[in-house]
Amino acid sequence: MSELPPKSSIKRWFLTTNHKDIGILYLLTALFFLIFGGLLALLFRVELLSPAADFLGESGYNQAVSTHGLLMVFWFISPFAFGFANYLVPLQIGADDLAFPRLNALSYWLYLFSGLLFGVSFFQGTTFAGGWTMYAPLNTPAYMPGEALGATSVVLALIMFVAAVTLGSVNFLTTMYRMRAEGLRMRDLPIFSISINLTVWMMLFAFAALLAALVILASDHIVGTSYFAYEIEGSTFATDANNDGASMLWAHLFWFFGHPEVYIVFFPALGIMGECFQTFTGRRLVGRKWFILSMVLVALQSFIVWMHHMFLTGINLNIKTIFMATTIGISLPFDLMVFSLIYTMIKGRVRFTTPFLFSLGALLLFILGGITGVFLGAVVLDYQFRGTYWVVAHFHYVMVAGATALFGGLYYWYPKMTGKMYDEFLGKVHFAVYFVGFNLLYFPMFIAWETPRRVFNYPVELTVWHNLSTVGAFVLGASFLIMFYNMFVSYFHGEEAGDRPWKYATSAEWAVSSPPPLENFDGVPSYASGQLEFLDEAEVAQRQSDRDGTGTGGATVADGGTGGTATDGGTAETRSAETGAAGGTGLATAETALATETGTAEPTAHDGHVSHASIWPFLISLGGFVLFLGLSGVRTGSMFYESLALVGGVVTFGSLVGMAQEPFFAPEPVIAERWPYGGVEKMKLGMWTFLASDIVLFGAFIGSYAFIRFSYGWEAWHELIPEAHVTFPGLVNTYLLLASSFTVVLAMVAAERESKWGVLASLGATFALGIGFLINKGIEWIHLFNLHGSAAFPEGWGITTNLASSTFYLTTGLHAAHVIIGLVIVAYMAVRTWGGAYMGNEKPIEYFGLYWHLVDIVWLFLFPLFYIL
Amino acid sequence: MSHTKLYTIVFGVLFVFATVQALVETVGLLESNYWLAFGIIMVLSVIKALLVAGYYQHLRWEPRSVSYLAGGGLLVALALTAAAAYSIV
Repeated sequence: MSELPPKSSIKRWFLTTNHKDIGILYLLTALFFLIFGGLLALLFRVELLSPAADFLGESGYNQAVSTHGLLMVFWFISPFAFGFANYLVPLQIGADDLAFPRLNALSYWLYLFSGLLFGVSFFQGTTFAGGWTMYAPLNTPAYMPGEALGATSVVLALIMFVAAVTLGSVNFLTTMYRMRAEGLRMRDLPIFSISINLTVWMMLFAFAALLAALVILASDHIVGTSYFAYEIEGSTFATDANNDGASMLWAHLFWFFGHPEVYIVFFPALGIMGECFQTFTGRRLVGRKWFILSMVLVALQSFIVWMHHMFLTGINLNIKTIFMATTIGISLPFDLMVFSLIYTMIKGRVRFTTPFLFSLGALLLFILGGITGVFLGAVVLDYQFRGTYWVVAHFHYVMVAGATALFGGLYYWYPKMTGKMYDEFLGKVHFAVYFVGFNLLYFPMFIAWETPRRVFNYPVELTVWHNLSTVGAFVLGASFLIMFYNMFVSYFHGEEAGDRPWKYATSAEWAVSSPPPLENFDGVPSYASGQLEFLDEAEVAQRQSDRDGTGTGGATVADGGTGGTATDGGTAETRSAETGAAGGTGLATAETALATETGTAEPTAHDGHVSHASIWPFLISLGGFVLFLGLSGVRTGSMFYESLALVGGVVTFGSLVGMAQEPFFAPEPVIAERWPYGGVEKMKLGMWTFLASDIVLFGAFIGSYAFIRFSYGWEAWHELIPEAHVTFPGLVNTYLLLASSFTVVLAMVAAERESKWGVLASLGATFALGIGFLINKGIEWIHLFNLHGSAAFPEGWGITTNLASSTFYLTTGLHAAHVIIGLVIVAYMAVRTWGGAYMGNEKPIEYFGLYWHLVDIVWLFLFPLFYIL
Repeated sequence: MSHTKLYTIVFGVLFVFATVQALVETVGLLESNYWLAFGIIMVLSVIKALLVAGYYQHLRWEPRSVSYLAGGGLLVALALTAAAAYSIV
């Protein structure tokens, strides 16, 4: 752990783990990608001035369009929203920081380096050119010109980005369920924090499905599996396979992620609109409860509408009808939200500040975007509109409407983040130019809707509309010059904003100075009395003892039964109910206390000072960047790329060990609102949240296998598998893995009993069993690779042989990778046990066990599916 | 009953169930009645998974909200698989 340098020092920005610093980093980096993606858009808008590829050329146009989409959707909008989330959610919920500050820094650096990897792809011949939806088999190397290294880099950059997102989701969920100020129920959170909570829930599950899709695509790119291989004859990628499901598999996986992604992008914007409408009308959201319920409903429904993106594929009419109904259905809660915002304006008194103008603009644009989307949700209309500029116009009216609200958020919180007021006049000018540019850019696309999407060619009579669009694009782009000028000059010369520049702003970030101090609050925030107050140490200790009193029953009656309980009796009751519901009573309290001290699974030698700095997140991400860059070119056999992969791997691994070794103190609040995870300490909740996403990852892998096999013919599938692929090795591995789960449990029991040799023996056995598992798998794989005598598989049954071999090797390979990661952790824990760790503190072993047992559970399904059935 | 004893019993059951799954194939049930064998084998896998989750991951003793969290992930994956498969029936 190192000290955090001042903000003026460059070093600070590489070291910081503070949520506000990281929020600023996210905002600035996202704005960089806005410019990046925006310039690409201007380039192809120039190309579209005439219906011919006379500026960028065919490939250049495809690259610009594809990368514009990917950069804007992944590297700009969501990270921009998460800049605000990073900065504001801890403040709004009354926490000092996020639950895992170093993981938060790691999320940011992975995000930045994934974007840099994307940037490097432009210099690897051609970058990704196959559309932002990355449809496969179109985007597998067999169907791409040249070496397609740039495309592989982009796929890998996305994998890195998803890693950042997953860590972020785990972090935000753990924070919001473990660190809310006393008395702050979930439903009482400010509307922006509620929107972020729902966003991260969607992210947790949706991005895991995308990760599965990307890993499969990357594997088709790098390893040569044939998940998406379609035309088999004469292909070097696969033989003897007939993969009817190939193109649909990608569409299902991608859109299963892709539709929730729309709301992942839009929800934070909705939260900001809610905040701005409340603040600048001076009125609570009309029907706030229903607004929140609508958002919850949309978050759930978002997972059952994805096939409306596939109405023109070969899916059957029944499923189209069902998904048309769910799609129309999801517009209903949105109607409620829109009316809530409109009525809030009517009931309140509007103050037309810049943030409000952007929020109102976002609402208007979203209404248009939403309604035109309902057209696309109707199967018959979609037959006409699919693949045209109607779709392009619609989703820009939705997505960029979201971005509009985010820019409003930037103005809204600028005074809080900088302590300076922006120039209101320039802000309004920005809005006016932005709004005109936006509509001039996108509205003509509705009129010229017959333009085919994704190609540079269009009917000549539509030229005038495209020229208007291009003019609009430049107006929209230019409006940002006003914003950047305003923000830059105001930072140095703006008026002092004060703590609360907006008269009717009520959430907790306005109760602290602008910008807020490093650890946010002077006292401990509490809402137990019905409004925000800050408790001093004595009051916190009092409430804690009250809580322990209720938790442990009679033991502390003398302590808890004083007048203190009476004064805040309501709180004490809440606490009691909470711990009771958690089923933990006294144990839950004791566990929580323990987790505060040991939950980081790190040496606890700290002096009580909260840590704010670590270089490891940066180094891990740097290593990951080099590793992935190397992987993008290993299939060429180039020494350069192989060396990069090796060096990157070593740096990543070394930095991970460095981070594990680093003492870092990030305590949980002593008193907090924790429903519904009151009895689940921070690390355990974080682990379970991560495992939930891992369940989706493996589920999507197994689902992909099932889908391809189902498409091929479930029982006919056997013809793709050699006789030599028998049950026995799988059974042996099942025994080994089950036994290793058992020994991990024994290690936990031994640690409870403070038996060092017991822990060492159990962990040693786990390690040996895991190694046995891998050796057995290795022997089996080598045997299958070399079935040269086999009549059916004269070349052996290799990774590229057919669909069955591809799914077998990749799915069990992903599982084996999980085993290897687990074994590295086991080895690390064994070394620490030798040094005396875990005695009487079995928690870290328990957390590891949760992971290991999940790996075991996954195998319990892989075994029958890949060995017996 | 001590926890160690409980864990050992669970291990025993898991071991036996895995063996039974392999035996279903050995006795030739897959050839004679594939879907019955399929059902038996998958049900055994589900029971095994529930045992590991319930006892080794101690979900039995955790607040229900943790099980809902993991179950949510499972539900998402099953919805994807089932609907995708149904779409090409």
